Amino acid sequence: MPRLEQLAVLQGHEDRVWCASWHPTKPILATCSGDKTVRIWQATNASDPTQWQCINVLEGGHKRTIRSVAWSPDGRQLATGSFDATTGIWERDEDESGDYECVATLEGHENETKSIAWSKSGALLATCSRDKSVWIWEVEEDNDFECLSVLQEHTQDVKMVAWHPNEELLASASYDDTIKIWRDDDDDWYCADTLQGHESTVWAIDFDPSGNHLVSASADQTLKIWRRYAPGNATGIMTPRRGEAVWKCVATVKDQHERCIYSVSWSKVHGMIASSGADNIIRLFSVQEVDESAAVEGKLTPEQIKATNEPGVQLQAIKVTEVPSAHGTSDINSVAWYPNEDHADWLASGGDDGSVRIWRVVRD
Amino acid sequence: MAFSGALTLSDLNDFISPSQACIKPVEVAKTSETQGAIKVDNSGSYYEVSQDGLETKLETATISLNDCLACSGCITSAESVLVTLQSQEELYNILQQNKVAIETNDRSTHRTVVVSISPQTRASFAAKYNLTPLQVARKLTWFFKNLGVHMVFDTSFSRDLALLETGREFVSRYRKAVAKGVIKTPNLDGSAPESTTAAGDMELDTPQEVAPKPRKRIVRRGAASDEPAAAVETESAMPMLASACPGWICYAEKTHGYMLPYISETKSPQQIMGSLVKNHFGSLHGLTPNQIYHVCVMPCYDKKLEASRSDFYSDLYQTRDVDCVITSTEVEKMFGEQGLTDMSAFGERDMDLGYNSVIKDPSTGQDQVLVGAAGNASGGFLEYVMQYAARELFGIDGVDVDQALGVEVKTVRNADFKEVTLELPGQPGAEPLLKFAAAYGFRNIQNLVRKVKTGKSPYHFVEVMACPSGCINGGGQLKQDTSIPLKDWIIQVDEQYRNGVMARKPEDNPALAQLYREWLGGVDTPKAKEQLRTGYHAVEQNLVNPLAVKW
Repeated sequence: MPRLEQLAVLQGHEDRVWCASWHPTKPILATCSGDKTVRIWQATNASDPTQWQCINVLEGGHKRTIRSVAWSPDGRQLATGSFDATTGIWERDEDESGDYECVATLEGHENETKSIAWSKSGALLATCSRDKSVWIWEVEEDNDFECLSVLQEHTQDVKMVAWHPNEELLASASYDDTIKIWRDDDDDWYCADTLQGHESTVWAIDFDPSGNHLVSASADQTLKIWRRYAPGNATGIMTPRRGEAVWKCVATVKDQHERCIYSVSWSKVHGMIASSGADNIIRLFSVQEVDESAAVEGKLTPEQIKATNEPGVQLQAIKVTEVPSAHGTSDINSVAWYPNEDHADWLASGGDDGSVRIWRVVRD
Repeated sequence: MAFSGALTLSDLNDFISPSQACIKPVEVAKTSETQGAIKVDNSGSYYEVSQDGLETKLETATISLNDCLACSGCITSAESVLVTLQSQEELYNILQQNKVAIETNDRSTHRTVVVSISPQTRASFAAKYNLTPLQVARKLTWFFKNLGVHMVFDTSFSRDLALLETGREFVSRYRKAVAKGVIKTPNLDGSAPESTTAAGDMELDTPQEVAPKPRKRIVRRGAASDEPAAAVETESAMPMLASACPGWICYAEKTHGYMLPYISETKSPQQIMGSLVKNHFGSLHGLTPNQIYHVCVMPCYDKKLEASRSDFYSDLYQTRDVDCVITSTEVEKMFGEQGLTDMSAFGERDMDLGYNSVIKDPSTGQDQVLVGAAGNASGGFLEYVMQYAARELFGIDGVDVDQALGVEVKTVRNADFKEVTLELPGQPGAEPLLKFAAAYGFRNIQNLVRKVKTGKSPYHFVEVMACPSGCINGGGQLKQDTSIPLKDWIIQVDEQYRNGVMARKPEDNPALAQLYREWLGGVDTPKAKEQLRTGYHAVEQNLVNPLAVKW
């Protein structure tokens, strides 16, 4: 069985690490922290992934904790979401100092910004906040941003936003226990679906490589996998709104995590899911279709699917490995798979111990 | 941060609970010094039981509208808190009090009750009950007079004053802004910009001089950074932002204090009606402001917040210019409470002359017809100011935004953001003389705020409305039959807004000249300022509850 091997421990943050984000093309990692900074890390020697150094510290842009950090798809910019209610846009001065400077600040959220995400094309930026709203910004020239929509249908704190890997479709996860799917029509964005099923806060979400599945991590100690059913799907799931797909839960991973799950990452390369949370354990799962003939709890017959309009269990997440006490006795707030084939087996994690760790999947 | 308008699209209930961030300490007068137990009886009332067993009923803590205005923790329209203060119940109470006063022959508690109805409310009822706005106005007059209301007026009358004042204020600001160098005047002769005209009458085909760079007309202040423009003075601040929407005002005061100098100081039509009724009407009829009870019927819940602003409260008479605002929805509720369900079966009554926009039909000389300023259903501020400023500043007559005459009207980005530009006739493509915008809904307000803050706003005037589609889609408007899509419904109500209403320029309202002369002592007098203008106050951002969890 594959296992997870620790390559490096990155020390430098002076408070808990909230979020780790890989550069889209280079072996560079950005992490943010309660110490109000972002640190940029790079392997000292390209051939040795055990030696890392902090090459930049982004300071002074935010007055409070930086809760999330995300690279733009072209890797030229970084966005930071802070508890000071603002979103920062950072750019590296390629010519001179090589330092990052804050080139734009997006205001509008009433309080803590919890998460930010760039769309695949880099043309859109989504932000969400404790003020229950999700905002969509259009990226314009000269570091200008135009607010396209303010979405206020969540009834509680919105914890995370994530874009579909190929389409202009946004998912948001909330303290109201739901996930919402957002799309745009001619004039404005609207809620295309609300995914109900979790029994507590949904902390994190991520799409699979195809974008037809979404994994969610919740304080109810489960992961759920949701599948998109387009109108006229072969399974026979009804799609009440004309032309609009629906998302249905097709797998629930329970009795694995023993406390809140805070982070989940679905590899865009090999399709493995990593999750972490308050039980200090990093777990890896592989996902497969439920066998036609296998007797699996929750699997439904075609008649039952028709009667309930629910697909039942269609996928199984098999645990591949786990690392207990991956950050000692600290909560693990973030796990992130390396985004491309170069180092698809690398995983980054950040925890309450203030450390950032780099892991590698090893197949014995 | 949000306001009611953004919620109305999806939330039919439209009642918003106080925010979890409400930090207003509830104060209740302490009646006893000693500590005792608290008892709750069957009715849910609280009693304090002192050590000797004496029970005192405890006062219920209430949070008033003004508490909410003073706090930044809550969203602007916390209706659940606010209904107790301004509702049809209050109007019923006053009418009942009047009955008792008459029965007991005690005139001291009798108040003259005046109801002023907004044109958006008329349109809402007309669309829902398949009536004309005139019929609605007459039926509402009948309804309110049967209840015991003394006078029924129309806020399109006071809107004429609001439009005139807004136009004047804009022209004055524009001139001061030019004088101070905040903005530059465009070239009126259509020639090349100053920097190149210095070279004399150069020929347009001179190779090295072709295509002079377009000049930035708006001076950027604090561009490049997000720092607010320094020391912006109201008298010359550009762009001037319309002030009629209370949701927008409240939002700006709570979260964007640096926007306040840009906001027009002209009172909204509702509050000018308040001045007219309490001050002018009162003096004509020998009534002090507190002897009049003034109700406005509005398309919007946030108008209640506006009415309760301390700026519109008289300490001397302990009364407000508008005592109570009830929404279109609440009036419909009153029908039911009076046992009247079918509005088409209501009687009709002539509207009171005076502060009304009704004239004898010029063709028959008989029946009443409605008149009102042209323009969009949010009051027509953009249209009027453009028309007025084109004439006053540049001598261009005949501008009509509705018909796109003399101006270019463009929808930008989404249906709720429009740009209107005035170019020098015969000089298409030249630097526009005036550039206006209508920005409705929260997202467009965000972009406007951002542009102004970074000095990138190209506009001279912006009509700002919190609700998508503007006032016609206000949070207090009647709800359509669920079978009708909201977009279609808004179009229907919008059509009703103009249905049978004769367009009349505000300056053609014959009563206004007389009001300026006899009531205000002229234009721009201290009294005109007192009655027609107001000011704005930034609400200090309270620090977020320090105990707030860091999740």
